[in-house]
Amino acid sequence: MSDSIFAMKNVSSEEISLKNLSVQFGGVRAVDNFSMTLYPGELVGLIGPNGAGKTTVFNLITNYIKPTSGEIFFMGKSLLGKSPDEICRMGISRTFQNIRLFPQMTAYENVELGLHNVPHYSLLEAFVRTPRARRAEAETRKRALELLEMVNLKDFAGERASSLPYGLQRRLELARAMATSPTLLLLDEPAAGMNEDECNELVKLIRQIHEHMKYTIIMIEHHMNVVMELCKNSRIYVLNLGSLLAVGSPKEIQTNPQVIKAYLGERKHARYNSNAGSQ
Amino acid sequence: MGYLNAIIILGGINIIAALGVAIITGYTGLFTIGHAGFMALGGYACAILVTTFHVPFAIALIIGGLFAGLCSFIIGVPAFRSQLRGDYFAIATLGLSEAIRLILNTTYKVVGGAFGFMGMSNLTTVPVVVIAVILALFFAHMFVTSQYGKNCIAISQDEVAAQMMGVNLLRTKLIALFISAFYAGVAGGLMGFYMAYLSPSFFTITRSSDLLAAVVFGGIQSLIGPTITAFVLVAVPELLRVFSEWRLIVYGLLFVIIMLFRPQGLLGYVEMNFAFARRWWNAVFTPHQAKQGTIKGDQ
Repeated sequence: MSDSIFAMKNVSSEEISLKNLSVQFGGVRAVDNFSMTLYPGELVGLIGPNGAGKTTVFNLITNYIKPTSGEIFFMGKSLLGKSPDEICRMGISRTFQNIRLFPQMTAYENVELGLHNVPHYSLLEAFVRTPRARRAEAETRKRALELLEMVNLKDFAGERASSLPYGLQRRLELARAMATSPTLLLLDEPAAGMNEDECNELVKLIRQIHEHMKYTIIMIEHHMNVVMELCKNSRIYVLNLGSLLAVGSPKEIQTNPQVIKAYLGERKHARYNSNAGSQ
Repeated sequence: MGYLNAIIILGGINIIAALGVAIITGYTGLFTIGHAGFMALGGYACAILVTTFHVPFAIALIIGGLFAGLCSFIIGVPAFRSQLRGDYFAIATLGLSEAIRLILNTTYKVVGGAFGFMGMSNLTTVPVVVIAVILALFFAHMFVTSQYGKNCIAISQDEVAAQMMGVNLLRTKLIALFISAFYAGVAGGLMGFYMAYLSPSFFTITRSSDLLAAVVFGGIQSLIGPTITAFVLVAVPELLRVFSEWRLIVYGLLFVIIMLFRPQGLLGYVEMNFAFARRWWNAVFTPHQAKQGTIKGDQ
């Protein structure tokens, strides 16, 4: 099925494509022959039961884990053999399932780091802080505060990241990911641990970022409301036990019997059907 | 008076070397027990340059530091490439420093072997050391507050996240190690010209662990903490000569106590800044402006 998509569209316009990606840890195939293609500006969801290999897909894209076989192309260039930092500088940024901020740095410094992952001045200039270096730092500061404002964290700029409440840490991670000026954003469970209200707020924020910054976004999420809402005009990929189970619009996914089976199991599946029948 | 001078000079030298260790251990999170080796490299290079090639002392100190910095790549490149961390990197640095010491100990031709290198005049005086310490503090402060320094801090806090955010780990760690070894090299040069001779026996693991102790006691991610402790750790055993044999036992005990009760060190995460001085200045000389100078969100 994925082959037909490749045939239909011009290959060079793809933002990212994973082709027959597999990775094996010992005897376990964490990701098995997974393919996925995104075009610029798309926002797609990646869902699946726990242990389906969703985060592993992100780790493969950022080359934190090396694939056993398969290929990854980003803007027409292969990502295999590139180090995670190179991949980041090519324009792929991510957040983490278990928040990975720099705990002892302030919120502002966390965002700033994404901006100066390659320092804007030479080492010698760092020692004497030439006017050029100071200007570069002032510019970085301005940009970091802008990003913090975008995720409504400006008031917390001076707070230590570890002292922020959980929900704000998630948003800070988002701001930090945006700081590396990516074109592709990988969001790993941005709504994890959030309540209904926070989820709605997050949906608004992600949609705003997506429209405003023209990012391509892949989002792993367990909150179905969030995924269904954000991906309503695009697709959702469903992973189960490492392989692609289904792909389609939120509606198609919600009614796909295989997806329901993977999530709820065989017996509950039968009950679900009978419930659906009675309604 | 001579005794006080000795304490100031040796304390100052220890401060400079400890600032080097603070940059690599305190700020970048890489433990080193091999900085005595870099001190030896810088010290011998500086001594040879001054006595044999008649290079001015200040320039020889800098070249000695640069030489130590370049030699740090011998251990830095392979260790960082293979992602050595924690104890493993510490052992690698120890290996290099012991190798350097043994090579110096057995090379009689240029460096004098176990007899030591002699023939230096006493160029390291109190003003020289004080100026060197001030410059060292200033430049260390400049480095750790720069974008380079912040990348180092990020690596020490979460290496994976730093790399995912585009920080080149190898390059950033090599820069930190280079600067750190440079500091040690300069300290070695100053030491040679205070002692008026150099012997491989100056640069044993004891000296490396003294420097590490200064940084661990003084505090992670702090310059002022290691500066104070580096000086105190020289001054106290000198003043209490009787107990100097017991020093290492006391260090060991202090290590355990600090690790248990204050793992970030005495002044851990306390940045040396002059905000208090600025406040004081504002309050005394420009009282009407004192309130405008509030710090924006960045510090």
